[in-house]
Amino acid sequence: MKYLRRLPLSAMLLTFYSLLFFAFIYAPLALIVTYSFNANPVNMMVWDGFTLDWYRIILGLKDRPVDIVNSSSAYLDSTDQLLEALRNSLIIATSTTTISTVIGTSAAIALARFRFRMRGFYRGLMMMPMTMPDIVLGIGLLIFFVSAGAKLGLTTIIIGHCTFLTSYVFIIVQARMAGLDPALEEASADLGANEWLTFRKVLLPQLMPGIAGGAMLAFIISMDDLVITYFISGTDSTTLPVFIFSMVRRGVKPEINAIATLIILVSIIIAAVGLWLRARRKD
Amino acid sequence: MTQILEVRGARRVFKTPEGGTVAALDGVDLDVGQNEFVTLLGPSGCGKTTLLRSISGFEQLDSGALMLEGKDIGRMPAFRRPVNTVFQSYALFSHMTVERNVAYSLEVAGASKQEQKILAGEALEMVGLSGTGSRMPSQLSGGQRQRVALARAIVARPKLLLLDEPLSALDRRLRQKMQIELKALQSELGIAFVFVTHDQEEALTMSDRIVVMRGGQIEQCGAPRDIFRKPRTKFVAEFIGDTNLFETTIECVHGGRILALTREGTKIWLSEETKLAKGDAATVVIRPTDLQVQDAHSSCGFRGKITRVIYLGTDLHYYVQPAVGGQELLVVSRTDGSRRAPGDEVTLTYRPERAHVVEDC
Repeated sequence: MKYLRRLPLSAMLLTFYSLLFFAFIYAPLALIVTYSFNANPVNMMVWDGFTLDWYRIILGLKDRPVDIVNSSSAYLDSTDQLLEALRNSLIIATSTTTISTVIGTSAAIALARFRFRMRGFYRGLMMMPMTMPDIVLGIGLLIFFVSAGAKLGLTTIIIGHCTFLTSYVFIIVQARMAGLDPALEEASADLGANEWLTFRKVLLPQLMPGIAGGAMLAFIISMDDLVITYFISGTDSTTLPVFIFSMVRRGVKPEINAIATLIILVSIIIAAVGLWLRARRKD
Repeated sequence: MTQILEVRGARRVFKTPEGGTVAALDGVDLDVGQNEFVTLLGPSGCGKTTLLRSISGFEQLDSGALMLEGKDIGRMPAFRRPVNTVFQSYALFSHMTVERNVAYSLEVAGASKQEQKILAGEALEMVGLSGTGSRMPSQLSGGQRQRVALARAIVARPKLLLLDEPLSALDRRLRQKMQIELKALQSELGIAFVFVTHDQEEALTMSDRIVVMRGGQIEQCGAPRDIFRKPRTKFVAEFIGDTNLFETTIECVHGGRILALTREGTKIWLSEETKLAKGDAATVVIRPTDLQVQDAHSSCGFRGKITRVIYLGTDLHYYVQPAVGGQELLVVSRTDGSRRAPGDEVTLTYRPERAHVVEDC
C-alpha cells in the first residue's frame, strides 16, 4: 500500500521535472516569437498590442516609423542588406555542404576499406578540426589567408568552413560505414559488379542515410557559424549570423525578433521534411 | 568424371597480431566434379572458409593453382569469376526489393528489364518464394532471406556455387528442411556445390563427398559413409559423430584378423587390413551404435556397469563404466522393451568388422 501511494508522487515529480526541462529549453524561443509580434517599438519587454509591422519592415513591405528612424540611426538600413547576407549564407552553406560531403565521404570510405600505413594517424587528422576550438581555427585561418595573400570574401569563408565541416561528415559517414556488412560489397563483386558498379549500386545507397545526415549537419553548422566566419569574412561578404550579430551589438531591436522567428520557422520546416522523408523510407 | 574445379597446392599465410604467421591453407589439393556436392568440414580456424574465399576471389593465394574448367582463375578478380556465393550473413541489399536483389547479377551484366524479371521470377519460384518479389528484405523472415540469397546466387547459373555456412542462423527444424531442399536444388540445377560447415550432421546429410580439414590441411576426403565408418585419424573419428576410443597395443595380426589389447587388458578383435605388427600402439574406434548391450553373462565383449541412461525418444544412450576400468563407454541403441537401469551389470558386444584402427594424430 505504502509503495503504491509513493509511486504517483515520484511520477509527479518526474513529470514536473520534465516540464521544467522543456520550459528551460523552449522559454527563450517562445519569448522571441512572442515579442516579434509586440507593437511596442521602444521597450519590447512591455506588451503594447499585436502587430505584424516588424515582419513587414524586414520584408521591405513597410517603411519604418519616422520616430524610430530618428531614434536609432540606420539600424536596419535596408531589407536588401539582410537579403544579401542571407544570400551569402546560402551560397556558402550550399558550396560547403557539397565540397565537405564529397571529401568527408571519400575519406571515410578510403579509411575503412583500404589497408595502408598510418591509417590511425590519418583518422586522427580527420577528426582533429572538430575538437579544435573555433576561435583558434578562426585565428589560424585568418593568419593563413592573410599571409597567403588571399582576399577575404566568400571563397575564403567556403574554404574555412570546409576545413572543419569535412570532419563532421567524415565522422558520421564513418559510423555508418563501420556498421555496414563487408559481405555486401563482396556479394556485389561476387555477382559480377566491378568496383564502380558496386560503389554506385550498393555502397552509395547503403551509406546514403549517413551521407544525408552528414550533409544536413554541415549545412546547418555552416549557416549558423559565427566565430570562424567572423574572422575570415571580408567587408562585402557578410553572412546572416555575422549580420545579426552586428545588429545586436547596436542594441536588441524588435526586428531581430522577427528575423529570429523566421529562422526558427525555416529550421522547423527543414527538420520536419527530414523526419518525414526518413519515416517514409522506413515503410 | 570431369573436374569443374581443381585446386593444387593452395597456400595462404596470415600474420597474427602477435607478429607470427599462421598458415590458413597449407598445401591443399582439391577436385570438385561436375554436379558434385562437396562439403568442407572442420572446426573454426581449419581453413575451410579461407579456401572458399580463395575460390570466390576474396582472398588471394600465396602460392598454388586454381583452375575452373581447366582455366586458371587464380589471378582473376572476384567479379569476373563465374562462381557465385551464398553468404553466411546472406548479405542481401537492404535498399533493393527482393526481385532486384535476385536480378542483381543480371542487371550488372546488362540484361534487359524484361529478362531480369522473368529469370528472377524463375529463381524465386525454384526456392519456393514466388510472389515475394516486390517486398523488401527486411519484411522477410530469416528462412526467407536465406532463400532469397540462394535465388540471387543461382539466377545467373554459375558453374559452381559456393555456400559459406548458409544454414547456421536457422533453427534446427528449418535447417533440416533446407538441407533436403538444397540437395534437391543441386540435382535440379546440375551445378557443383561447395558447401562450408562445421556441423558434421549437415555434412553427412547433403554431401556426395566430405572434405575434413584441420590446421590448413585436408585431413580426410571421402564419401560420407567412408568418413563415418573408416575415419583415417583420431581427429576425424572424434569430429564426426560420437565415438568410443581405445588406446591399445597390437597383440597379434593374422590374416586380416587383429587382436588388440587395451591398457587395462581388455581384448578387442578387429577385422581389417593393416600394416600394423605385433607390439605397435593403435587407437581403435568403435561407434556407439555398433555396441550392443547384452546381459552380463555373455562370453566376450566389455563387461561393465551402467552409470547413466538417457532417453531421447527413438534412441537410448547408455553410459557404461568398464569393469576393468578406463574411460566410460557410450552405447546408442534403439528404444526397445528391455528396460535397463543404472547399476545393471552388462556386457557390451560388437562385430569385429565394426572396430577400426585410426592414425593417432
